[in-house]
Amino acid sequence: MQNSVQLRTVSFILGSIFLSSCSSNYQLVKSNRAEYAVTKDVAADSSIIRTYQPYKLKLDSQMNEVLGYSENELTKKIVGGESSLGNFFSDAALFEARKTDPQIDFTMPSTNGGLRNDLPLGAITLSNVFELMPFENELIVFEIKGIEVESLLNYIARTGGQPVSGLTMKIIAGKPADVMISGQSFDRTKNYHVLTSDYIAGGGDGISSFKDPISSKVLGLKIRDALIKYIKESKEKGKKISSKLDGRMTNDKS
Amino acid sequence: MINRRKFIKTGGIAAAATALSIHSLDAIANGGMKQLTILHTNDVHSRIEPFPMDGSRNQGLGGVARRSALIKKIRAEQPNVLLLDAGDIFQGTPYFNLYGGELEIKLMSDMGYDAATMGNHDFDNGVEGFYKQLPHANFPILVSNYDFSDTIMHQSTKPFKIFNKGGLKIGVFGIGIELKGLVGEKNYGNTIYQDPVLKANEVAGLLKNEHKCDLIICLSHLGYKYSDNKVSDQTLAQNNEHIDLIIGGHTHTFMAKPQDVKNKAGRITTINQVGFAGINLGRIDYYFESYRGKKLLTSSPYMISDQLDS
Repeated sequence: MQNSVQLRTVSFILGSIFLSSCSSNYQLVKSNRAEYAVTKDVAADSSIIRTYQPYKLKLDSQMNEVLGYSENELTKKIVGGESSLGNFFSDAALFEARKTDPQIDFTMPSTNGGLRNDLPLGAITLSNVFELMPFENELIVFEIKGIEVESLLNYIARTGGQPVSGLTMKIIAGKPADVMISGQSFDRTKNYHVLTSDYIAGGGDGISSFKDPISSKVLGLKIRDALIKYIKESKEKGKKISSKLDGRMTNDKS
Repeated sequence: MINRRKFIKTGGIAAAATALSIHSLDAIANGGMKQLTILHTNDVHSRIEPFPMDGSRNQGLGGVARRSALIKKIRAEQPNVLLLDAGDIFQGTPYFNLYGGELEIKLMSDMGYDAATMGNHDFDNGVEGFYKQLPHANFPILVSNYDFSDTIMHQSTKPFKIFNKGGLKIGVFGIGIELKGLVGEKNYGNTIYQDPVLKANEVAGLLKNEHKCDLIICLSHLGYKYSDNKVSDQTLAQNNEHIDLIIGGHTHTFMAKPQDVKNKAGRITTINQVGFAGINLGRIDYYFESYRGKKLLTSSPYMISDQLDS
């Protein structure tokens, strides 16, 4: 047990404390703190395992299905303004959604906070995808005005980059610059078809760009299902999924 | 045994060692005090099994069965233990998608959790989805700043609970984060979010002044700290008078050690948070001295050590 306790040595005294007029019968005189790391060195409580075992067996039979393979580990780590996981997530969502709606200009299907776990190198199981995208969010295409796109671009820049596909930009001093959408320079007088989630559209993470759209189209495709389809299709084509940092979003501050 | 040379100010809120009453020092040395052990988790996020061995950063870490073993061992060693959770019990592994949180709550009941508060992800299957799992909970859900009166949960939570442990009165209450913009509107429904700092002061004041609690603990899902002025555990710690300990969550913060903040009354409010997913179990021991009706006249700080007594 002692090994798993991170013992610390700092000790100090805390400042003058005056008793309130309504005092109780006990006086706090000392506090000790520790933290236990829950690692393989801690023997498991078998009664707990017995409780969850029936749930685990049923879950494993469904979740251990290998959907495909990954050429590299896909992580949330932001480099410049992008991450390998964010690029994969956005590319897969855009690819699957464009099958139903080829008009989509670009996507921001999630914020970085919505990517809940990394994907490992090698076999990708259904469980991995559930952990990456546990939420039941749906994909929706919104036609919005250029000024609304601009507010979204400002949000992306202000927050140091978010997962996107079909869009490249530079973040300079926290502001969007050299924005290209589907290979063309961003034009704030134009309308755009933007793929996102019902979570973001509903104002999630403080984004208001989709509150007043020109039109919207629910694709009937959950984000997680789009990712599952994309990985399975890659496997059927004999391909591994891969995602590289391709410089789609750079940031002068990082 | 306490070594008096430890009484060196090293930072934080420091004061002269003379402020400690001799009486206290003797009592510590004699071991004649009441001890309370707080164990805590936050943001366990449906992590029933340890992280899979797949080369990822947290591989092999966590797991409810190990945590349970640790808790049992500590309970066997200590007379007065409180086991608390600061929310986001739900969401993060397929266990939640498949079973809706039933297993998470059942296992917390099995481990003997004394109380938990709600995190934003505990709304992921709606207010109804959380309500549905409450029959599996043998511990109270403490939330003081969500008004559930116009929801199915109108009788499901309590603002606070007072625990009596070996003669000590410990007041525990819960504080939740603003739901708008963080949780889908249809998921929180008619839940009304109330100002967390106002509510916390109201409840903590009640626990201290009316109920005469010896220690006051806030289970907070506000988050540790933000770069903008969003209300956080820092805000709460600086703007309260009676909270001794904030057990935090939401930001998945791994703290090197608990943070001691000087509150509005000039006393200590400690903030601690232990990352997420049950990778760590936090422990804070408090020692109390009875003063048998005698009121201590001198100012009385308490000593803090980042080491357990052996």
